[in-house]
Amino acid sequence: MSFDFVEPVVFAVLAFGVIGAGAAVVLLDRITASALLMALTFLCMAGMFVLLGAETIAAFQVLIYVGAITVLILFGVQFTKQGGDRSYALFFQKQYPLAAALVAAVAIPVALFAFSFTAPAPPPGGGDIRPLATSVFTDYAFAFEVASVLLLAAMVGAIVLTTRDERAEAARRRK
Amino acid sequence: MPVGPLGLDPLFWAPLRLIIAVALALFLVLNGALLQIYLERKIQAIIQDRLGPYHVGPFGLLQTFADAIKLIAKEDVRARATDPWFFLAAPALVFCPMLASWVVLPFAQDIVGVDLNIGLLYLTTLGSMTVLGIVIAGWASNNKYALVGGLRSAGQLISYEIPQILALVSVALVVGSLSMIDITRSQAGPLVNVFVLPFSFLIYFIAALAETNRTPFDLPEAESELVAGWLTEYSGMRWGTMLALSEYGNVTVVSSIVTTLWFGGWQGPGVDAIPLLGVLWFTLKVYGVIVVMMWIRATLPRLRIDQLMTFCWLGLIPLALLNIMVVAVLALAFPDTKIPIALASWLLVIAFIAGVPFVQRRRLALLRARASASAVRAAS
Amino acid sequence: MTVPLGAYIAVSAGLFFIGCAGVLVRRNAVVILMCVELMLNAANLALVAFSRRFGAVDQRGSVFVIFVFVIAAAEVAVGLAIVLSAYRNRPVIDVDEIHQMKG
Repeated sequence: MSFDFVEPVVFAVLAFGVIGAGAAVVLLDRITASALLMALTFLCMAGMFVLLGAETIAAFQVLIYVGAITVLILFGVQFTKQGGDRSYALFFQKQYPLAAALVAAVAIPVALFAFSFTAPAPPPGGGDIRPLATSVFTDYAFAFEVASVLLLAAMVGAIVLTTRDERAEAARRRK
Repeated sequence: MPVGPLGLDPLFWAPLRLIIAVALALFLVLNGALLQIYLERKIQAIIQDRLGPYHVGPFGLLQTFADAIKLIAKEDVRARATDPWFFLAAPALVFCPMLASWVVLPFAQDIVGVDLNIGLLYLTTLGSMTVLGIVIAGWASNNKYALVGGLRSAGQLISYEIPQILALVSVALVVGSLSMIDITRSQAGPLVNVFVLPFSFLIYFIAALAETNRTPFDLPEAESELVAGWLTEYSGMRWGTMLALSEYGNVTVVSSIVTTLWFGGWQGPGVDAIPLLGVLWFTLKVYGVIVVMMWIRATLPRLRIDQLMTFCWLGLIPLALLNIMVVAVLALAFPDTKIPIALASWLLVIAFIAGVPFVQRRRLALLRARASASAVRAAS
Repeated sequence: MTVPLGAYIAVSAGLFFIGCAGVLVRRNAVVILMCVELMLNAANLALVAFSRRFGAVDQRGSVFVIFVFVIAAAEVAVGLAIVLSAYRNRPVIDVDEIHQMKG
């Protein structure tokens, strides 16, 4: 009795989680539920990365997406007053069948083309952290530095955008 | 696929092994929390010149057990307007990442759940998932004090993740691996890493105190602030799970990281002969660190939220970045020996400890000048 | 039997189109940001799947994923800052209402 059935079963569960939670993010009315289901999508995605043998990327996925971006979105939800938003009503419009047909025309050939790839050779052991680290810090060191500058710019920009100017607001209130 | 003991079929042994591992981790977390609550109360009592629990059992040892039974038997009070799903899910979201961290802690030479080659990264990842549970707990309580407490706690946790990770990165730079077993093995004999990288140890220890919501950084959960912060609506065993189990479990995980990275993990006299002795040394070292944390809790007052955030962003993070830069440059310049790194690290520690009074004196003078200036402006 | 590459690409395509539909259909600014994150995740999955298939010759897929993480994080931060900033002016979160640059 071999364990060959484990990988497809785990993949099926994770795929169901990803697609189901993704659909729920779009369809649900309550925005906090959407945010938490988005976190579930990210977790199932991390599981898929582990199935593909990329465990460092899976760890980064959880660290960045679940640990930081979901919290950021939840902060954004709590600082704004959310009204009702009947999302699914917009699905029942007359352009919808045309849009779905276009999507199918693109998606189905892409998926069929992807199925034509043969099974890969199993990757060498030792995990994926060493090849990844070597690539990022030697071949793509410049891109890495540019990404850091981008993050710095984003951080400064976000702070500048959300800083309240106390004196200007007090002056506006006095007027 | 491994064959189980007594020739058990791998098909049964693999899931059975998983169940045994989870049960063992849960057992360790529960008993650890029991022991640590008792230790905390006794140590605080001794430092505060009183007795602590002494009624229930010899030396009050069964006190926590009695408290746990009381918590389980408590009525499940729930406000009507709380969001049912999220209110129930939040303790699980806070507890599960902590439980999952136990799988990479190296208790002895061969006694580790899984020797992941990204063990340290895995631990930091799980540490960052707790924030989500706390925000959800604060929001689901439908209570403005809980909400603000949850947001404050989340802000504190994500801020202090940064110096924590930077300190861990500096150790990984010196050791050359993220695997917990490799890091333990790289510290041969009595020359453990605390002699090589004391500054990283200091930074990580302070950041870890903040990450586990321990005093002096326990503003979000203190009972005198914001009612009880994000835990306000939780009572009985939910509170027990969130606070006691998760927090003390987190403290144990963090102490295990400190022990593995800076104090040699399971190594000690006699481990080569009897490998199981490593568990004893590991436990002793971990509880040594925990006792120091409790000592700090009984001694230092609490920081305000703005003092906390200022200390992180304007104090710890620049120091952690400086630390990484120094360690990286020296590790590249002198790749064979660890002595320059050790020298530089100890110099930084001495500079930090000696420099704090100067910085504080200057800030006090600045505050006094600003206060007197505004008083003059108000009077005129 | 190992999972074929096409299955991962199918999941990635499905998630991408779900995210795309969400961006087009939903009117809540924060939900639109969430759906953009879903699309970025789908792209990451496709990249890692192909990187694993051709990993012996080409590691660039996995490296690119790291940069996609960085850019996604930066984009969410700035996007939320913009949403909160616009919310301060006029407390509406509906993108159909925030369509004028003035006033």
